[in-house]
Amino acid sequence: MIQTRLPFAWQCLLLGASLLVIAWISLFSWSAVPITPVDAVNALFNMDNTSIPQHIVQDLRLPRTLMGILVGASLAAAGVVMQGLTQNPLASPSVLGVNAGAALGMATVSTIAPWFGLLGTSVAAIIGGGMTWTLVMVLGRAWKGGNDSSRLVLAGVAISALCAALTKASIIMAEDQASGVLTWLAGSLANARWATFDHLWPISLFGLLGSLMLSPTLNILQLGEENARNLGASLILTKLAGSFLVLLLVASAISSVGSIGFVGLLVPHMAKMIGGQDHRRFLPLAMLLGAMLVVLSDIISRSIIFPMETPAGAVLALIGAPFFIYLVRQRTL
Amino acid sequence: MSRYIPFFIISVLLISLVIANLLFGAISLSLHDVLRGFQPGSDSYFTIHEYRLPRTLLAILVGAMLALAGALVQGVIRNPLASPDILGVSHGAGLAAVVYMIYFPHSSISWLPAVALAGGLCAALILWWLCGHRSSTIKLAITGVALATFYASTVDFLMLIKPLEINNALLWLTGSLWGRSWPQITMLLPWLVLIPCALYLAKPLNLLHLGEDSAVSLGARVNLLRLIALAVAVALTAAAVSICGPISFLGLVAPHLARKLFGGRHQALLPATMLVGAVLLLMADLVARTIDPPIELPAGIMTAVLGAPYFLWLLIRTK
Repeated sequence: MIQTRLPFAWQCLLLGASLLVIAWISLFSWSAVPITPVDAVNALFNMDNTSIPQHIVQDLRLPRTLMGILVGASLAAAGVVMQGLTQNPLASPSVLGVNAGAALGMATVSTIAPWFGLLGTSVAAIIGGGMTWTLVMVLGRAWKGGNDSSRLVLAGVAISALCAALTKASIIMAEDQASGVLTWLAGSLANARWATFDHLWPISLFGLLGSLMLSPTLNILQLGEENARNLGASLILTKLAGSFLVLLLVASAISSVGSIGFVGLLVPHMAKMIGGQDHRRFLPLAMLLGAMLVVLSDIISRSIIFPMETPAGAVLALIGAPFFIYLVRQRTL
Repeated sequence: MSRYIPFFIISVLLISLVIANLLFGAISLSLHDVLRGFQPGSDSYFTIHEYRLPRTLLAILVGAMLALAGALVQGVIRNPLASPDILGVSHGAGLAAVVYMIYFPHSSISWLPAVALAGGLCAALILWWLCGHRSSTIKLAITGVALATFYASTVDFLMLIKPLEINNALLWLTGSLWGRSWPQITMLLPWLVLIPCALYLAKPLNLLHLGEDSAVSLGARVNLLRLIALAVAVALTAAAVSICGPISFLGLVAPHLARKLFGGRHQALLPATMLVGAVLLLMADLVARTIDPPIELPAGIMTAVLGAPYFLWLLIRTK
């Protein structure tokens, strides 16, 4: 079948430009203190120290938007790598329980040993996510190349439920208040500051570059494990490296903004529709799309009950859950 | 004779859990205090009569109803992974109840079970429409889970944009017996009519167990039976959910345990499931209240901790 697609460079350029526009809108829209679009630009290039709106843009809005971009790109890349590794279109950090495991790790550390600080919670998120990821892969029989994809998803969902219950229990026991917990569990960009961003970007960037380097191998995996082995790909090494990247990406994202779900499920499919089946192409597109999606839902989340905030993760779940149903229905099981 | 031994053991367990639920909590009472608590005017009257006794009764009722619903669904669909909460019926009912409470705050709370029933029925119909008549075990479960995720995230969203009071929110997100008392029990009472209805279905359900063709040739009206049994299951679930929120995994685990203990004959299985469900919920609520007093955890968290590993185990065994 011949499909007319824009050349890859144009696709990237178009998506990049729309990402810039959305990020710009996110800098000034729905603020309790009115910010003009011009303020947003001036704060970046031509800072006026006496202007309050420009200070808001620089200290609050800019880190928030950048964080949204990084988190979106990370989660989308994690989704692509997971779908590539498991050959399962439903695989994604939230569906397979990596989100919930990371959240559980963080909640446990911050209730039992709060003095560890941000680094401790990030490590806990990696360990927690890694444990659930291994468990799901073993229980869902995906590690040895079984093609039992729905079993994998059900295992992920059950483990998510278990981890979510334990997370809620540990937070209720520590804090005795539910609304803060709820916001955090849903994932929100409201508390993004420069300090968090400085922790996030080196890890995320490493993960993103790593997943780009992995993409040729993911292409080979698409041919089936048998063929991949014949073509000389080391399956164990690929799976280990891929899993490590996924954990790095997901844990760094979740430890800075909370458990944002469904980006990793939605975006790879959208990117595949635009860019085709080649991982080297649709992985960068997925990163751009993921960033756009998260920044966009952050804008929406601010507008719903303005001037109060709704967590961006809750908005994403509302978009993502019907898509999950749609994907389940699409598949012939 | 040996068939009665497990019944006896479970009943003893139930009674001792009831006593434990009355004794322990934020403050532990002695047996003497508990007995005096039944008389108006004594020191512990309020704790026992207004707080712990109705809550214990409610745990028994809700546990029994949810478990019975699970047994009916598993009996009809003959799918070991099926239960009202896996199939999204509980969360559908919960969503309807939350929408009703948020958008019609001034209307009577006694309509809540009916609203939840409507939500549960809609959820069941949507699942039916998505999955069709004959779909594999795992496809049904996975579609149900996806739907449940959707309902749950809608409830999350509504809670976040229209914050209810904290304990109410926890109730609807995880299921809890917190602050429930006599009014809720009276709300639940009319729905208990469904229990004899369900028990009456035991015999035809046994026929269904032989396979659809055999059941038809033995004179069972299979489709009617399925419809009635599922409707009763949805109604039981909805009534329980409207009082306590979606308590997860109870409807899945209890029938399996009961089947292990009492075998698959529905005449024995259905009452046994109710006993097991009541025991499980009493146990979950007791642990949730006493693990770190005076903070109490929602009972739904405890049932999830218990039920999710069991679900995984079932999943591994499913061919």
